[in-house]
Amino acid sequence: MTRRETEFLVVGSGAGGATTAAVLAEAGRRVTVVEEGPWVDPDAEDAPEPFSLQEMAVKYRHHGSSAALGNPPVAYAEGRCVGGSTEINSGLWHRLPAEVAAAWRSDYAIDGFDQHQIDAWADRVESRLTVSRVPGAPPLSSALLERGAAKLGWRSVELPRVVAYDGGGRATKQTMARTLLPRAIVAGAHLEAACRVVRLLRRGDRVTGAVARRRRPDGTVEDLEIDAEHVVVCGGAIQTPALLQRSGIRHRIGRGLKLHPTIKIAARFPHPVDHEDVPIQRVTEFVPELAIGGSASRPGHVGLALADSGADIADVGAALADWERVFVYYASIRSDASGLVLAVPGLRSPLVTYRLTDGDLSRLARGLVLLGELLLAAGATELYPSVTGAEVVRRPEELASWWGSVDRSRTNLMTVHLTSTVGMGEDRDRTGADSYGRVWGVRNLTVNDASLLPDAPGVNPQATIMTIALRNAEHLLSRP
Amino acid sequence: MSDLAAPRSAIVTGAAGWLGQNLVRALAPERDHVRALVLNDEEAPLVELAGANVEVVLGDVRDPTALDRLFDGDDGDGATVFHAGAVIHPAHRVRELFDVNVGGTQLVLDRARRAGAHRFVHVSSNSPFGLNRDPGDRFTEASAPDPYLAYGRSKFEAEALVRRAQDRGDLATVIVRPPWFYGPCQPERQTRWFRAVRRGRFPLVGDGRNRRSMVYTGNLVHGLLRAEVAAVAAGRAYWIADPEPYEMRTVLATVRAALEAEGLAVSGGQPRLPRLAGRVAERLDVVAQALGHYVQPAHVLGELKETIACDVSLARAELGYAPATTLYDGMRASIRWCLERGQAL
Repeated sequence: MTRRETEFLVVGSGAGGATTAAVLAEAGRRVTVVEEGPWVDPDAEDAPEPFSLQEMAVKYRHHGSSAALGNPPVAYAEGRCVGGSTEINSGLWHRLPAEVAAAWRSDYAIDGFDQHQIDAWADRVESRLTVSRVPGAPPLSSALLERGAAKLGWRSVELPRVVAYDGGGRATKQTMARTLLPRAIVAGAHLEAACRVVRLLRRGDRVTGAVARRRRPDGTVEDLEIDAEHVVVCGGAIQTPALLQRSGIRHRIGRGLKLHPTIKIAARFPHPVDHEDVPIQRVTEFVPELAIGGSASRPGHVGLALADSGADIADVGAALADWERVFVYYASIRSDASGLVLAVPGLRSPLVTYRLTDGDLSRLARGLVLLGELLLAAGATELYPSVTGAEVVRRPEELASWWGSVDRSRTNLMTVHLTSTVGMGEDRDRTGADSYGRVWGVRNLTVNDASLLPDAPGVNPQATIMTIALRNAEHLLSRP
Repeated sequence: MSDLAAPRSAIVTGAAGWLGQNLVRALAPERDHVRALVLNDEEAPLVELAGANVEVVLGDVRDPTALDRLFDGDDGDGATVFHAGAVIHPAHRVRELFDVNVGGTQLVLDRARRAGAHRFVHVSSNSPFGLNRDPGDRFTEASAPDPYLAYGRSKFEAEALVRRAQDRGDLATVIVRPPWFYGPCQPERQTRWFRAVRRGRFPLVGDGRNRRSMVYTGNLVHGLLRAEVAAVAAGRAYWIADPEPYEMRTVLATVRAALEAEGLAVSGGQPRLPRLAGRVAERLDVVAQALGHYVQPAHVLGELKETIACDVSLARAELGYAPATTLYDGMRASIRWCLERGQAL
């Protein structure tokens, strides 16, 4: 057992952990960041292509194939690498809608969460990253969404992204590995990759540090005991509650999991569509219950989406051979349901369950029909929904058949947005942490990631996670 | 109170329903053109008889192309849309409530906006507001929502979509909230109810002093037509019911009196069930709905013991709503309608 010592131990290096580490280190505090996943240099010659299957194998937990159990189950993806999910997501930047913030403030009694304060934190987060719009015309996959929405009179917006563009229009996503983690390291933070925290060490109402296991570059493992004056857990909405539970901390921890269940359509067009990037156009007509946008559509994604339709093998084969004209779009919903994350002794991964309500399934069916209408209006000629055995739609009069197809046994759902397994606010009956993420009952333990969002935001959550993380990290500095 | 001119055309969803048939019959003599959405061929004659200017469109509110046909042509432009299509008692599964009541409303709203409709008059319900907290309470337009089970949630979500369409700025909407109807064109379940009351088989749950607002279909149609034209109504919601709520024991006594007045002898006494029976039924209903099932007798019995009462003052003041038909007269009209169709009561 190797012993280490630090002032602040930050567990996790994604949107929450990197923000926390940068704030603390730049304030002159001694910081150690431990990250379970590997360091993958995003700018190396042999770095995996963004949104490729190779990238999934390297940077995703379980190679991208985790699932929340339920009827139907919901497949989900989490980043597991230095930088966390910011390394693999689309980087779409959507501030927390004001009406959602107002509801959280009153429903969960969150202190210091007035709109003007949130706006000020969000401004500062954006000034630390580069949040920009695509220069010039958007790619065709994006323009098709805009075209369909315009034909139907639906509102849509082009979202900014955490991306820097050079003079030639070349995009570099501003992931944590490229931005806040280097800043933290320059300010003196120590980063330990491939190092999994097994459990936190506790004495009375305090934590004293953590037990971790590090995989050395040569493949051997080393057990570490890291003493810390304060621990900040930023492992994301699945790993954070699991670690707290393994450490015996259970009050309102792991309950209330929220996600945005997402249903997809692989749409075939009479012309080629770009496949390098993710569309930046978002249909906001039905927000917050329903959002419509475009997914990563590399050949692998196109193949998976076509397979999810369970359509006739000849049809799927023909569409797959024509993959350059196929693109994957989605409808995601705000769900009435909530799920559970439960650490099971002896198992490395927690059990995750989520039971969709009838209202949720109906909303997904509605999303599928509306998305289908939009894609046909945009000129698509064949629609393969991610519902096994559902009709492949070629004409508008076939769309209504999908209401009956979207059921519990045939619907293939996924999500990349997982939140709310701790929750913050002063209402102790409904939250696992106070208004600034300090875990109830443990004086020097803070959570600072997606788990704190008291509910699903209905939009891409990265901006909200980082805004709250910056706010809470600075508040942590001001605490005695 | 200023009125807009009523458009020459109207579009009605749920036209073959209990309310829809009454509405189409009231509109047909007054308008140039009424387009009526009905589910299938069997339902079409119920609406076509209302007048030669009634055009039936077959289809489901969940089918975008059926709605395209409903709004096809010049009639959609400037017409009033009365959205009366909904499911109250699903055949089996709770899911249908959400698909039709929420999904259907979204699609109809979307067409109405694109067609440039004069107004979207949305038929909601008491159930987004649940049950009154105490026996003397009445719902007003200021009451907080508290949806009662899946039907209540579906109608609550639908109201939210209507409000959002209004906020979008290019469609004027009015939400009308009727409670339990009675009146002509009633569905089979209401005929069974008359039969049970006549034979002394329909129970009072508890002491029967709990109050229920009800609305005669003629009064409701009058309310909808006022909502269509009252200038101040855009973007607002109104309770539309008979002037005062009734005690449940009064409702049953009035139906028995109305049956006798129409020459139908009433047999048996008034059976009573303890409130506990209503509570057991309510639990059964809650459990069944949580599993996705809908059991109509449990739902109805569970609700009978409760107070569901509303106040129509705002509709009187802002819409000029003036309900004229009494419970006794309305029940007699309803009974006569059954007898004229040879239905055995």
